[in-house]
This record gives sequence, C-alpha cells and structure tokens, in this order.
Amino acid sequence: MTIEDTRPRSARYVGRSVQRVEDPRLLSGQGRYVDDITLPGMLHAAFVRSPHARARILNIDASDALALDGVVAVYTAADLAWLNPMVATGPMRDGILAHSRTPLATDVVRHVGDPVAVVLARSPYLAEDGRDLVDVEYEPLEPVLDPLAALEPDSPLVDEALGTNNISHLEESAGDVERAFAEADHVTRLRFHSGRSTAAPIECRGVVAKYEDRAGGRYTIWASTQMPHLLRMFVAPVLGVPEGRVTISSPDVGGAFGLKCTVFPEDVVIPAVAKLSGRPVKWIEDRWENLAAGVHSKDMICTMEIAAKADGTMTAFRGHFVTDSGAFSSIPFTPLVDSQCAGIYLTSCYDVRDVAYSVDNPLTNKCQIGAVRGVGWVPGQLAREVAIDQLARELGKDPVELRLQNMIGPDVYTTAFGQTYDGGSYAEALEKARDAVDYASFRERQAKAREEGRYIGVGFSPFVEPTGWATASAAAGGLPNGYYDTASVTVEPDGSVTVTTGLHSHGQGHETTLAQVTADELGVPMESVRVVFGDTDSSVFGMGTYASRSAVLGFGSIRESAGQVRDRLLRLAAILLEADPGDVELVDGVAGVKGVPGKTVPLQQIALFGYFGGTARPEDVQRDALTATSGYSPGETYANGCAAAVVEVDVETGLVEVEQLVAVEDCGVQLNPTIVKGQVAGAIANGIGVALLEDLVYEDNGEFVSGSLLHYLYPSTTEVPELDLLTIETPSAVSVGGVKGVGEAGTISAPAAIVNAIADALSPFGVVIDRTPVTPEYLRRKLRDAERIREAS
Amino acid sequence: MKPAQFDYLRPGSLAEAIEALGANPDSKVLAGGQSLIPMMNMRLARPSALVDIGRIDGLAGISANGSLRVGATTRQAEVLADATVQRRWPLITAALRHVGHPATRARGTFGGSIAHAEPAAELPAAMLALDAAFTVHRPGGTRTVAATDFFLGHYTTVLAEDELLGHVDVPALGGSHWAFAEVARRHGDYALTGVAVRLTPDADGVVTDARVALFAVSSRPVRSAAAERLLVGTRVGDAEAATAAGKVALDDIEVAEDSFVSATYRTEATAAIVRRALLEAATNPKGEN
Amino acid sequence: METRQGNVAVEMTVNGEPMVGIAEPRTLLSDFLRHGLGMTGTHVGCEQGVCGACTVLIDGQPARSCLTFAVQAEGCRVDTVEGMAEGGALSDVQEAFRAEHGLQCGFCTPGFLAATEALLAENPDPTDDEIRDYLSGNICRCTGYQGIIAAVRRAAQTRKAASA
Repeated sequence: MTIEDTRPRSARYVGRSVQRVEDPRLLSGQGRYVDDITLPGMLHAAFVRSPHARARILNIDASDALALDGVVAVYTAADLAWLNPMVATGPMRDGILAHSRTPLATDVVRHVGDPVAVVLARSPYLAEDGRDLVDVEYEPLEPVLDPLAALEPDSPLVDEALGTNNISHLEESAGDVERAFAEADHVTRLRFHSGRSTAAPIECRGVVAKYEDRAGGRYTIWASTQMPHLLRMFVAPVLGVPEGRVTISSPDVGGAFGLKCTVFPEDVVIPAVAKLSGRPVKWIEDRWENLAAGVHSKDMICTMEIAAKADGTMTAFRGHFVTDSGAFSSIPFTPLVDSQCAGIYLTSCYDVRDVAYSVDNPLTNKCQIGAVRGVGWVPGQLAREVAIDQLARELGKDPVELRLQNMIGPDVYTTAFGQTYDGGSYAEALEKARDAVDYASFRERQAKAREEGRYIGVGFSPFVEPTGWATASAAAGGLPNGYYDTASVTVEPDGSVTVTTGLHSHGQGHETTLAQVTADELGVPMESVRVVFGDTDSSVFGMGTYASRSAVLGFGSIRESAGQVRDRLLRLAAILLEADPGDVELVDGVAGVKGVPGKTVPLQQIALFGYFGGTARPEDVQRDALTATSGYSPGETYANGCAAAVVEVDVETGLVEVEQLVAVEDCGVQLNPTIVKGQVAGAIANGIGVALLEDLVYEDNGEFVSGSLLHYLYPSTTEVPELDLLTIETPSAVSVGGVKGVGEAGTISAPAAIVNAIADALSPFGVVIDRTPVTPEYLRRKLRDAERIREAS
Repeated sequence: MKPAQFDYLRPGSLAEAIEALGANPDSKVLAGGQSLIPMMNMRLARPSALVDIGRIDGLAGISANGSLRVGATTRQAEVLADATVQRRWPLITAALRHVGHPATRARGTFGGSIAHAEPAAELPAAMLALDAAFTVHRPGGTRTVAATDFFLGHYTTVLAEDELLGHVDVPALGGSHWAFAEVARRHGDYALTGVAVRLTPDADGVVTDARVALFAVSSRPVRSAAAERLLVGTRVGDAEAATAAGKVALDDIEVAEDSFVSATYRTEATAAIVRRALLEAATNPKGEN
Repeated sequence: METRQGNVAVEMTVNGEPMVGIAEPRTLLSDFLRHGLGMTGTHVGCEQGVCGACTVLIDGQPARSCLTFAVQAEGCRVDTVEGMAEGGALSDVQEAFRAEHGLQCGFCTPGFLAATEALLAENPDPTDDEIRDYLSGNICRCTGYQGIIAAVRRAAQTRKAASA
C-alpha cells in the first residue's frame, strides 16, 4: 500500500520511548489534583442523596442540620430555581429525545444516589454531620428496573414529561439482510447480556468553585474533568452566564476513563452555591457516590444473529441492542454512546455486506449511562465474537480459520454502513495473536489437561476501534456532531516553545507526546517545549480527551500550527544567514545552511529577531510574530488488533484464572511505544475486570448494593498476569503523521477473548456463556444446569 | 466518607481500659482499627467513644513454650513473620496469609480479628481447628473461654461490653496434619467459603481426632461435626474419605446466602474445598513440636 | 487516662521532621497529612481501606492512612512520598517507576511507592510472584500493573547492586 510520507521532518522524538516529562512531579507527590486545591474561606459540600430508586419528595427539613455548629447552609432545588435546566440533546440526528433535568431533584427522585440537597459546612466532616441531619420525607414508588419491561407501552414512566421511557429507537440496514437470512445454510443466534460496569478511576470526581461579584460576576471552577472547554460550554448556560464569565481549570486528574467527560449536576450545583453562599465551595466525591451516582456503562441486552453458508462464509449480521439507560440521558454523549456504537460498527473486521441493527434506550430508575472506556464497542464485540465462536462450533470449524476466512484485507475499506477504514492489519493481528498463544499445540495441551480433570481454553477477539474522534468519524458512527481540536504554538522571545491545546492529559502522557511532536515539527530540543492544557484561560478551545482521539488530533493540530511557525523561523533565519530560505535547515534549535558548515544561528537569536527585528522582518512576521493557532479535523481513523486469552476454569468453584493474555495492537504510527504499551495494558486490565469481576448490581427493589470497593471489584496484581503486548504499525492513510488513536482497545477486545476462552474450556459441558461478568456463582449455575440436562437425557 | 464524632480514650493499663469500657456504654475497642474504621468511615458504626488499647504494655507479644501465647494487640504481621509460629503452628501462618494485605496486617491485630468476629474471617476458624482458648479480662478478674464457645454470630462474641480479650493460648499441634484453604474472588478478599483442617493420626496414620472448622459459610465460624465424625478411623489423605467428608461438611449447618453467592454455591464449593484441604493435609509438612 | 474530645494538637515526625497539627479524634491520618499539614502527596481513593492509594509508612510499617486516626499516629514516625526524593533527586524506587513507565495519572503512585519501600525492607530480593502478592492490596486503574511490577523488580536490583 502506498501512502504519502507524512512523517515529521527531523523525526528525532516521534516514535521513541522518551521518558515522560510529567513523571518527576507526579512521583514526588507534587501533582496538583482537585482535592489539593484550597481557597481561603472555602466551605465543604456534602450531597443529600435519595436512598430510593424512585420516590416522590414530600418534604425536606434542614432545620436540624442548620442548627449544627459548623454547618453554614443547606440548599435544595427551590434555592436553585434560577438555574436553567440541564439538557441532553445528544447527537444531531432524528429519533433521539432531548432530555431535560434540574441539577437537584424537585418533586421526584429517580435513582439511588439522585442528589436532593447540598450541605455546606466548615469541614467535610461537618458537612457529612449536617447531611445526616437533613430530614427528607419520601413516598417510595414502584421503580422501573427491567429495561425490556420499560419498553412496554404500559410501563410506568421514569420521566412523565417525556411521555415514553425510550430515549431513542433507531434502525439501520444495508444490503439485503432479509434475503441473506432466508437463503442462509445456517443461522446462529445468541442473546448476550453485557453487564453494568463503570470507570471507577482511583481519583473520584471533584469540583471547587468560587464566584466573584465583579464586572457582572465571574465563576472560577476547578473540576476533575477530561474536557474543560466543553464542560464550560455546558455549564455556563445553566448558570445563566456567557462562557466568557466562566473559567474552568482541570488540574492533574487521577484517571478518568470517560467518567469525567460527562456533565454532572454537581458541576453546576457547586458553582451555583458558591454564588449563593458568597464563599468558595469544594466538593470531593466519595467512593459510594462514585459508584452509585456518577455514570454507569455497557449494560446492554444484545441479540445477535449471523447468517452463514455451509462453508463458513458469513453472509449477514443482524443485531438488536437494548441499553439499560438509567434515569437520565447523560450529557453530552447520551446512552447512544453505548447502543449506537454497538450497532453501527457491527461488521467490524469482517467482509459482511448485508447488515442490520436496531437499538433501544429505555430509561430505568438506575444511575445514568455515560461514555466509559470502550463504550458500546465492548458489548458489541462480545455479542459478535461470542456468536462467531458459537457459529464455528455449530459448523464444526476452527474459530481462527473461520475468522480469517471472512476477514477484510489490509487496504482502505468502506463498510456496508459507510465507515471508511484507513488501512489495517486485521488478519495479521489475528495470526500474530494465534501464534503468541501457540495455538498449534494448544488443543493437545487442552486434551491432556482434560484427562487430568483440568479445564483450560483459548479465545480470540479481533477488533476494529474507531479512534481520533472528529467530525468525520462521528458522522460515520451515527452520532453526527462537530468535533475537532486546536493547538496554538508559540516560540517565545528566547526560543522556548509553548504549546497550548484543547486536549487534556490524565495519565496518557500527552504532556510528553505532544512535546515530542512539537519538537520534531519545529526542529527544536524537546526540553525547550512546554505543553499547556486544561485551563480555559490559557489553552485554546478544544473538545477534550476521550474516545482515543488525542494522538491524532494532537499531532494534526500541532503540525498545522507548528508548521506555520517553522516556516516563519526559516525565513527569519534565512535573513540572518543571508541565504535562500530553501537552503536553511532547523535542527535541534540551530539553523544552518545546507552544505555550508559553520554558518549557523541559534533559535534564541532567530526568535529575538522575530519579535524585535522591526521592518527587517517579513510582513507576515511583523503582523503575527511567532504564534500560530490551527484547528484540525481528520478523516476517519481506525485502529485494529486482536486479543487472545488462555484461561483455566476451576469447575468446582467457578473461579477463572487468566493464564495468558496476548494483545496485538495496531494504532498506526506510534508517538511513544512505551506509552502505547501502557495504554494497552491498562485497557486490558479493565477488560479482565469487565469480563470477570466488575458488576454494578441493583436488587429487585431498586436498592444499589455495589457501593463499595468490597463489592465493585477491581483487578489487582494477582488478577492481571504478565501480558504479551505486541504491536503492528500500519500508518493511517488519512491522518497527519499516519497516527491512529489508542487507549480503549484492550477494554474492547479482552472481554470477548476471555469469554470465548471460558466457553472453549467448558465445551465438554456444553455451557453457553451469555453474560458478563462471568462470576463464580454464574458459572456454577451454568454447569449445574448443564449437568441436570445431561443427567436427564 | 468521614466518621461521626467520638471521644478518644487512651488507657494506660488493662484495668483502665476495662473501666473505660464499662463507663462508656456506647464505646468500642480500638486496636488495629482495620475492620472498625472502614465501618466508621461509612457511618455504619458510630460509637460515642473509642478506647484505644494499642499502647497498653503487656497486651502484645508472642511466647511459645509448650503452647503458644499471643497477646491480643500483637500485629497480625508480627505473628505471620514469627519463625516459631511458622515452624510449630503452620496452620496459623497459612491462615494469616489470606488475611487482608500487608498494610492491613501491619496494623490489624491478632486479637482484633478474633473479637471482631466477621463471619468470613480466617483466624477465628483457625482458632477453632486448634482448640484455642481465649483469656478475657473483666472487672475484677479474668475468665477463659474455649474458641468453640466464643463466637455467637455476625460480629458477635461472648465478650460483654466491659470485657477485653487479653491473650490467646494455642496448644501444641502435636504431630497433627493440617491444611487451610479458601475460595475468594481475588487474593485477599473476604472468603466465599473456607476451611481450617487438623487431623491427629495414630502411629499407623489413622485419624483419631479431627477438626474441620468452616468459615464464611454461616453467621459464625463453625466446626463440622458430621465431617469430623466421618474422618475418625480413616487414613490421612484417603481420597474417598476426603470426598465423603466434603459432602457432609455442611450437614446441620445453616448456610448463608449473600450478594455474591447463593447457599447452593456455598454448599458445592465447600464440599470441594474441604475435600482439597483434606488431601493437602496429607502432604503439608507437619508442625514441629 | 488520656481523653480527647474536639480539636487538639497532635504531634508526629513526618519525613524526619517534627510536625504538629490540629485534629479531632475522628480526623483520619490521610486528612491530617493532606489538609492539616498541607502534604497533599498522599492521595485518597476510597476511605474504605481497599485501594491503597493512601498508603504511608508508620514506624517503618505500611499503613492505610485512611484507616488510621491521626491520634493513633501521635508520636510516631510517618514517612510519605514527599520524603522520598533527597535534595531534589528522585529515590531509586522513584527512578525505577519512571524508567519502567510504572505510572500514568500518578494518583495511586505515592501509595505504591510507600508499599514498595515496605516490601523491599521486608524482602530485598522478591520474586515476581512475591511482588504481585505484596502489592495486591494497592489498586491501579491506569497501568495494568505491568510497569509497576517491572519497576519494583528494577528497584530491587538497583538497591541490591548499590549495597553490594
């Protein structure tokens, strides 16, 4: 495949595992996270939250709380009636209901944890004391908990004003799906319930806000967020002020994984009560709130059907996806970030031209669904890859061979739904994963183990991941909206370089990778580059970091703006060197003339000249000096790869051990290979959690029972083995630098690999794995049922 | 999650501690705090006073003559690291490896875990299997309680409000075979089911005395009379006996159900874990005398 | 018998320096360090004693500072992440974490650093299994632990070589 060489000129840093510049401060405890921020006179907030899944609020009595020494104020919805509603409008397409809410519940509470009142006190301890004393009288109502029942016309409504529970029903098809199924030699069907999980970063959410009553009033907000500018865009109108009166600063963030790219009621309540109380206010979420009242994710009932010929050719996919959407359509991504993403990318890396999907998004009295690592690609991957293994078993075909037989080629490819992949290594990744688990000898090993009464299995999960989320990819993903990003590059008078970006780094090392990119683009040493982000006062507008977008958007926006500045530098250097600009090179901060050694001028001098050289400078430099700002909105980029898992199942206890986990990742040109591996490893660990451990559970009465880390289980060092991390580099055909995004792949791919491995291990028992997480209780129940069937026959 | 207010009392002696407990009816003992403080942070426990016994002289320490004596406030980590315990009471070492994590074992105390009586805790079951005796201090004196009489139910022991566990006495293992096993979601998590096993053989390897102490199956640690009865007269390591003992292990015991696993799961997994432990007991190096 | 009610002065030695702050009996050591003494390097992830982000050393032993009241650490020696670098130079353990990409967002890192110091003090030459076992009480959501295990391995080797 021929592609234009879009690599940076000096290529001194990009592609190298440069050590991270953010590490020294983070390692020495000098990071500054939102709870490290203290303002004089600051009050602490604690939220009173509903203990019921659904109830009417009859009365709120805060008198005992207010009588407590140290409690300064208690506010309810009535005190915040001056706020504009929070509205989830979602992607700009038909068929999606806008959903409006008030930040604090007015007459009804809609899920356990729904905020009802906020207490301000002199310390977080006193705020909780005050919270205990706020007396809310509720009339419990029958909650809506079953998403399928919620779709029934006679179901009680989670939000009466909407007139329905279904935020969106969408259908799309390509080719002739009906005919493909009618003519199929074989059809396999699978109903798969992907479980309810969440991001659960180690740092919970937090907001600090102050309001200054000068020149019309100004809010300064510190929030642990992935998207400071977007957050401002959504928060300002609710507060009733122009964006120019709001500063949002996201300091160091202790992990986000999507939790912190949703706009929450707390994001507007805290600034609002800062204004009402006349004091700065801090709210730090506790772990119960984080699990109960942040965002949930991936809870989806998937029905997957594959039509196939007898020889194993898959001719059609049909999927129906119901997202258990919780009580609110989340802002800004809505529950479609799960259901739509599962449906519209259904064909993945397979050459299937007849495809149809439908989605439903019923509201229920649970926590809202938001964008969390892997989003709907995770359940979609599970439904499809588990069904493909099922198809292989039913046809008596090898699961790897069946996939290879149906796989698309490595060239640019347009799917039936119109997504254009920018080249990849689909078959190569699967083959590499296959070899890494020594598949050739696995069956023998498996047979021997079975003789010993041990059950091991292997599972594969090749994937395609939309990355570099921008306008083109959003449109191709059925969630049309304008997404792009901007960077501003400035060479200071002494030659230092400042880059500001609308992206954000919360663990991904963008402070480093974007400095690598800038240093290469300009031709300067990396130590002289500083990347500034996270503050709306100092960074150009951007859409934030999520959806594996920052490598692509960062590289592209910096290339554009750095390129402009570099051009000016070369022309200035040419004047100083009395040479033709075409003969000037700028490397490592020194400009020289090609073929004339010894004739050089350092960047410091060029920069000084650029600012203070008067009319000796070119006209555009006289006007623009050494700053350039540029946006970038790339075409669609898609990473790909494959996960393979080898597991051992203890059939007596239902415990699953992941013996080996291989992750092949192709994210195009890599900015920093070590950082790429770190991203894949973290995502894989999350994938292990999603497959085996992580579960947000509501009882039949709506009670939420997963509000502690003793119930919501993270994978620890003993659940994540040493991973085999392999990479392939297929440069993108469309993006600057040929980069693609990385960050979510392991969460997308690993669960299906593990589920397939478990089913493979248990194939003698005829067990169908139809949900995640695959818990010991669930596995034992499945084995027990299978045994009963065997005994009966 | 911040705890509610309480008064903090730091007695200088056992007598002061007991007096303080008696004088403050809604008080709780603070030793390591690794079980109590999480509950207080979540405001599930709101004692009006904490009596910190962590600095009382003489309440911590390990001594071993014929039997083992562990002071109540001895850190779990210290017992785990103790070479004499490892050599002579390896069942205790094995149990402690499953108790929490290094940071919780560094603070958590031997006696604290026993007095807290979390149904899924490892040490109480190990104490049952080892026929331990607990010395309890009360106003005016002490009393000794056998481990089998000590645990009443969820977080409930025979300790009265003004009583304090002083030390634990564990008789010598005396050439017994032993094993310890549990099923947990992740390493260090609360067990879903677990067992501490001790088998005393005669010269021919036939079991004359058996202890099968289960934990995490019921509201308190419990010995399986049915399994113990069955094992007497069988050979240590006999596969059939091990399987049979596993099957009857939960006879006459009320099996708990919780948010993680059903009673059915518990019963099946317990049968497996008891069987495995009994087989392992044949090969684990015995404790020295 | 000592009795404390309400706010009192609590003294302890932090990173070798005597310090005093105000605390109620219920003030957690994590809050005392962070907000009482302004040492925000130690982080809070759950206050349930599960995630280990708040791990510090008390008298050389690892402790979850969210499961310790400040008054319990009175008069003790407490070591936090702020005391690990000497004269602006990262410690061998900190350097190892940097070299092996053992951190991403940095939030769990101070807890892992403290736990690693405790591990190497107890077991200067741990196997990979021993490292995983010891650190299973510290949770990281970013790294998948690969870089962390490698960092501890590297730190052990460096320290062994330095003392040889």
